[in-house]
Amino acid sequence: MTHTVVKNATCTFCGCVCDDMELHAEGDRIVKTKLACGLGEAWFKNHTAEHLYPDALIDGQPSSVEEAVQAAADYLYEADMPLVYGLSNITCEAQRAAVALAERIGGVVDSHTSL
Amino acid sequence: MNRADFIIYWGGNPADCHPRHFTKYTLTPKGKHVPMGRKGRTMVLVDVRETPSVRAADIFLQVRPGKDFEVITTLRALVKNQPVDQARVAETGLTLAQLQDLVGRMKNARFGVIFFGMGLSMTRGKHMNSAAVLALVAELNAFTKFVCMPMRGHGNVTGADVVMRWTTGFPFGVNLCRGYPRFNPGEFSTVDLLVRGDNDAALILGADPGATMPQPAIDHLARIPTIVLDPKVTRTSRLARVHITTAAMGISAPGTVYRMDEIPLPLRPILQSPYPTDEVVIRRIHEQVKAKPAWLPASFKKVPCA
Amino acid sequence: MLRITGGRVYDPANGIHGEVKDVCISDGRIVAEVEGTGVRTIDASGMVVFPGGVDVHTHVAGAALNFARAMTPENQREAVKFIHSPELRAGIGGITPTTFATGYLYAGLGYTTVNEAAVPILSARHTHEELRDTPIVDKSCCVLMANNELVLDLLEEGETERAKQVVAWLIWAAKGYGVKAVNPGGVAAWKWGKDAKILSEPVEGYSKVTPAKIIASLAAIVNDLQLPHPLHIHCNNLGAPGNISTTLETMKLLEGYRAHMAHLQFHAYGGDGWNSLRSEAATLAEYFNAHPNLTADAGAILFGNSVTITADGPWQHLLYQLTGHKWGNLDVENETGCGIVPYVYKGSNLVNAVQWAVGLELLLLINDPWRIFLTTDHPNGACFWRYPEIIHLLMDVDFRRERVRKLPAKALKRIVLGDLDREYTLSEIAVITSAGPARALGLSRKGHLGPGADADVAIYNENPDRELMFRYPRYVLKGGQVVVEEGAIRKVVDGREFIVHPSFDENIEEYLRPLFEQYYTMSFDNYPVEMHRVEGADIRECG
Repeated sequence: MTHTVVKNATCTFCGCVCDDMELHAEGDRIVKTKLACGLGEAWFKNHTAEHLYPDALIDGQPSSVEEAVQAAADYLYEADMPLVYGLSNITCEAQRAAVALAERIGGVVDSHTSL
Repeated sequence: MNRADFIIYWGGNPADCHPRHFTKYTLTPKGKHVPMGRKGRTMVLVDVRETPSVRAADIFLQVRPGKDFEVITTLRALVKNQPVDQARVAETGLTLAQLQDLVGRMKNARFGVIFFGMGLSMTRGKHMNSAAVLALVAELNAFTKFVCMPMRGHGNVTGADVVMRWTTGFPFGVNLCRGYPRFNPGEFSTVDLLVRGDNDAALILGADPGATMPQPAIDHLARIPTIVLDPKVTRTSRLARVHITTAAMGISAPGTVYRMDEIPLPLRPILQSPYPTDEVVIRRIHEQVKAKPAWLPASFKKVPCA
Repeated sequence: MLRITGGRVYDPANGIHGEVKDVCISDGRIVAEVEGTGVRTIDASGMVVFPGGVDVHTHVAGAALNFARAMTPENQREAVKFIHSPELRAGIGGITPTTFATGYLYAGLGYTTVNEAAVPILSARHTHEELRDTPIVDKSCCVLMANNELVLDLLEEGETERAKQVVAWLIWAAKGYGVKAVNPGGVAAWKWGKDAKILSEPVEGYSKVTPAKIIASLAAIVNDLQLPHPLHIHCNNLGAPGNISTTLETMKLLEGYRAHMAHLQFHAYGGDGWNSLRSEAATLAEYFNAHPNLTADAGAILFGNSVTITADGPWQHLLYQLTGHKWGNLDVENETGCGIVPYVYKGSNLVNAVQWAVGLELLLLINDPWRIFLTTDHPNGACFWRYPEIIHLLMDVDFRRERVRKLPAKALKRIVLGDLDREYTLSEIAVITSAGPARALGLSRKGHLGPGADADVAIYNENPDRELMFRYPRYVLKGGQVVVEEGAIRKVVDGREFIVHPSFDENIEEYLRPLFEQYYTMSFDNYPVEMHRVEGADIRECG
């Protein structure tokens, strides 16, 4: 099994966003963390690269990403006032894409800050 | 870390929620201008209950729940040497002597800082409390150097604020229905919109409102077409029409994240996910929408929100 | 391929002052001639043809401006709206425009290059992210250096050579283009709640480092590194009555070096208090005119809403105390800081009236237009999209005198603006808005219409109402593409970023790494901005 090490990795669990972690991975899971706190270590170890969930679900039934993307686009296009919500656990690159999409569909875009 | 010799945590429990805040950023490191590290600093914890963070504090001030605003206002009066009502002070659970001592320490600090948490900004008074802390800190700068910072929870909630500000001009709750950004918290914030039933579709990105929001909001999400992008199948996914599994930020998805002090950091993912990233999926949805006839904003035709 | 024909061309860099001639474009560049079929023609008869505008000093992206956006939702509400369309992103204009609106507004004015004048290295990644979302215009960044403790500590030790290596490494880490000095030493002192008001006194926390030493050292370092743009300096005591002495002293320190003096208007005051504030533009211009090593930008103010943003933290705290308005302060670890205060300049206010006059006086009294450029220190003095109002004031003496007469009577005794007869010519406007700033920035393909230049062209309808003329260009071309027509955005193109790669000894990292581990909360390896974040990087090797 391949053993990979990444230094100066960034932990995104809490708002501290510490960027000095050392991560060790074997295969599809992280096996060791250095400098991570208890919360960070759990965060890293709980996320694996295993295929644990279906790629996509439509009305609860497994589907392909392609079909799910098309269904999502149809729903959002048809809506008069769609909501784009969350954004706190995605990257800035994804956030920028989300704002662009919200513009395209004429919706409201909001994050956890509004809670 | 390099300068602060006086640190206040207000309405937060960093020992449990931001475990490395003390050790990496604020209390224990030996700073450039605080060579003694922990010994060179005084830490005051203000909260409504005793938490594990109390052990790290030099002074713990237990405020009665819901009385934060009164305490801050009293401190602002004391900073300016204005008279305060003893009876009112007593209602806060603290004594005038404690508050006078705190004001003395604040004024004598070389570099002071207040970190305020959700125990202040999300309880009774909410943004009034935050505004009062900001005013207190601004006024303290007439005496010494004082700064403050909110303790943010979720990983990249700061990034969401920052990105929305530069793209739309507002930090959250931005309505693009008319084709340009409008901002009105309370009207365009998610819980209000959902409880009123204003939305007719929802795209949920890396959040689980189905587990955290008020029931009427969840009921509305179940009524309308809801789409979820998340590394896991969440409670919201179960009430949604569409769920798409995505790679976890920082573990298998690359990109940028903002620290709570608005410093951007790169991600160095270690695993190869079998799932696409949020960014890729959002862009693909966008491409599909773009392929359809253009939507015209309100200024060109009927009001689309009606 | 494209030919602009019949227009009166103003290309002062090539000695062309209003002659009717063709401008030819091929592959995004100006060429001597285009031939054959497939040449599009723009009939510019009755119009004037300028090189695209270049803004030498503006604040359009980054942590501070983005903080200001959040602080002023009331201004955003009344601002110009940019409505989403299949081609355009949504946005809002106003005093702190969103990134997309910034690109559209600059292009809409005929400007095609902007220099973001204050970038903290620690958050340079943020600035580049915003610049990537600022369409159409080309961009460059000046990196904040005069309060960087790594540099100041080396100056304290007298290690000038190592300081130079560190500066070079930092510029490259930030993917910057130039070096900016803001209130040298004063921002570092502000972290202790102090300022640096006297150039010869040690900065708070140091025994040998004085503002004077910082200024002279950085000017020498920038010269040694052969950066295309000289040291870009915001003097100490910005906005303070009597600061003329500090400004003159700073300029004397810079003798023998090239330097660019930022927003000079804020540094040309006499008097010893707010009640005795007066213009010293004439004194400043006299010295400046005799010292060709210097360039400057006006930093003019216009009456109305603004938001003041500067790395000059102590000044911002003073402004907050004076106005009782909102105040935002950002301290950036080890490097710099920033203050943000919304502000309204009022024509009826004596101080504001003097400030308004000083900006125009400097533009009129500095006799070489190649050394003084049109800016408002956006958004501090006024928004960049109000430049046409200033052009009108510069070109029309009667209109200017009429405005001067409306000032408070007390102000008239403290300014000389009413006595100045000079009127700018169209050629001189082309110099202060384009050719001059391009030359000062060392951008050889900008600011002119000679063969080889980037095909950035602004075409205006000839109109005696100069404000109207410059507010709505008939056409704007960026890299040979028509991006604006009749005041509307026609096509959105991506801008490039100019960055420099100064040479430095790679071993300097061995020196910096342990210091970082000790004093920064960010990992050393995560600190430099990655190349892929810089959109369309145009890298210049130097030193």
